[in-house]
Amino acid sequence: MKKKFWFLTKISLKKKVKSKWFLGVNILFACLIIFLLNIDTIVTFFGGDFESQTEIIILDQTGEVAPQFQTLIESEDNTAGESKRYHARISDSDLKTEKENLIDQKDEKVLVVFEKDPEQYLQVKIISEEKINALDYQILVQAVNQAKSNYALSLSNIDPVELAKISKPITLEREILKDTQSVDESMDTVMNTIFPTVVLPFFMLTIFLVQMIGADICEEKSTRSMEVIISNVSAKVHFASKVVAANLFVIIQGGLLLLYAGIAFYVRNVLSGGNMIGSFTASMGTVWDSLVATGFIDKLWYFIPLVVLLMFVSFIAYSLLAGILASVTTSMEDFQQIQTPIMIISLVGYYLAMIAAVFEGSIFIRILSYVPFISSFLSPALFVLGQVSLIDMILSILITIVVIFFFIRYGMRIYKAGILNYSNEKVWKKFSKTIQNKDV
Amino acid sequence: MLKVENISKDYGPVKAVDHLSFECDQGEIFGLLGENGAGKTTTFRMIMGLIDSKEGKITLDGKKIDYTITDQIGFVTEERSLLTKLTVEEQVKFYGALKNMDDDAVNKALDEWLTRFDILEYRHRKIKELSKGNQQKIQFICAVMNHPRLLILDEPFTGLDPINVKMMKDAIYDLKKEGCSIIFSSHQMEYIEEFCEKLVILVKGKTILNGYLEDIKQEYGIKRIEIIGDVSEDDFSKIKGIQKIEKRNDKWVLHIQSEEVVSKVFKAIQSKKIWKFEAMKPTLNEIFIEKVGGQK
Repeated sequence: MKKKFWFLTKISLKKKVKSKWFLGVNILFACLIIFLLNIDTIVTFFGGDFESQTEIIILDQTGEVAPQFQTLIESEDNTAGESKRYHARISDSDLKTEKENLIDQKDEKVLVVFEKDPEQYLQVKIISEEKINALDYQILVQAVNQAKSNYALSLSNIDPVELAKISKPITLEREILKDTQSVDESMDTVMNTIFPTVVLPFFMLTIFLVQMIGADICEEKSTRSMEVIISNVSAKVHFASKVVAANLFVIIQGGLLLLYAGIAFYVRNVLSGGNMIGSFTASMGTVWDSLVATGFIDKLWYFIPLVVLLMFVSFIAYSLLAGILASVTTSMEDFQQIQTPIMIISLVGYYLAMIAAVFEGSIFIRILSYVPFISSFLSPALFVLGQVSLIDMILSILITIVVIFFFIRYGMRIYKAGILNYSNEKVWKKFSKTIQNKDV
Repeated sequence: MLKVENISKDYGPVKAVDHLSFECDQGEIFGLLGENGAGKTTTFRMIMGLIDSKEGKITLDGKKIDYTITDQIGFVTEERSLLTKLTVEEQVKFYGALKNMDDDAVNKALDEWLTRFDILEYRHRKIKELSKGNQQKIQFICAVMNHPRLLILDEPFTGLDPINVKMMKDAIYDLKKEGCSIIFSSHQMEYIEEFCEKLVILVKGKTILNGYLEDIKQEYGIKRIEIIGDVSEDDFSKIKGIQKIEKRNDKWVLHIQSEEVVSKVFKAIQSKKIWKFEAMKPTLNEIFIEKVGGQK
């Protein structure tokens, strides 16, 4: 029977992996991932207005603010992106000439005029030919305000050394006394970067898993080959082979997605002339710094295995549920309908994981993190945010294992009766009776 | 030998099979007859262990049928139980592996059977591209390629033309000669009549007739006389015991009450020119209609 089990597993897997659709879909995936991870390079390649630099002309009638404002703009430029978006220039001309220079210019130009004001230290005018974009305007306003504060402080006879100390960003130490929340707000960096890239493929793989099991069982049922198969292997062995095959498929597909991501990074590196490694390392460094700063790095040794275990048991639970539901349907169309709730549940889990940070402390979301099918998405997210503890995550895994046990114990009875049932009449009544029947 | 003892199966309030018993010896062909919904497929499913019987037991050579011996049972279902996206070779290898056959044995058997059924060129064709008749041949090959001890044939000739029916009949006779026990169900009574030594007729799960075909026919006696010759209806219209007189082309068919009527008819027309005079036992079809009709 073991031989037949592995044979059925191999056949199911081969049927899926060797199909031209699998090849087609994976080519599409590879192209999409490479495209998405290189979208900025591709967009830049085709050119556009976004490439143009904005010239900021500083007309300083105070004689003191301009150099500081210029520095502030340049420092903003460093945080805004890789390429220089602004060029700040201190003008010696008069207002009229500079205003005339703004007219009918090819490049975008903004004139910032600083004037003394007895009441508010400074009066500032931002002049441009046309409307400027919101981000540029925001950066200008921030820099203007900062320049004003610095100018005001300098006028208050503060020692330049003291002034430099005031202007220096504060060294922030963060401590949370409650152990379960021993991560700080910097973990948002991790949530915003690493987490979506892990959860989205998991969500996709869940959909693949459910659909593969459903399609496989429905095909064997609708062609009536199920009768011949089940006359040679037990329903239990058959079901187990489907579950194992689907999970192996998910592992293969997951590995392929990782490979495509690797290729995409390689392409990015080639296109950026090797600079990408540097920027990637810098991004990862930021994430790593966040992990170190929050102490989360010390938890990775058990967090990663637990997430993998939770994902594994969730995949098993999803595949068992999909298999049981597929067994009671009589056609692929029926299965498409019946699988919708599974899709919605996983979608709920996905969205809750994405927005978990917004509803910090929500008891409802915390309870949902124990619910099988949702827990695989939500529980790791809440753990990263420090909203649930290690115990809670273990509890989520245990609850999912209990659900798997019930699926095997009672769902198996439905499966055994369902795979040979071709009638849609009184389906639910029929299967509720089957659950109660120990002999099935 | 397959032994079915007193098996029953209920689907809710409906009795699908009601205390059915029969035996099929080695090298014997057994017929299972009944209208749609009579319980034939349920009986086959119980024999194959796909569903459990409420009571009774089913044994093959004294051993309860379970997954340790289902490899030795061939099963041709009424519907085409084939994975239509596979090629013929893939399909046969798939079912072969489920019967614990290795690839070499499957290849050898496949070559032999495809040649025998004259469909060797379809080896690498997808099942869905084949005609219904050829699909049925593939299904048959899948069931018999490992020389089963028991072969269950549920409507095996559906979709086959007369030439292919003949091919499959010959194959079934060869399996019989090999000692395979064969259970056969069909709506076409002439096939049952031609093949089966023993049979059961089911009506709504109940056995209404069970035994050797010859014995059953004997029990019914002679029911019909067929005459071809220079005769007219007036020649036998006055004979007592004739229930109905029919003229089918140049043949007169007399439906009679009992065997005694035969000699009376013969005497009445013996001076006429006669080319054919045959006293006939009832066909299985007639018995079936009489029995099944009588139960309704």
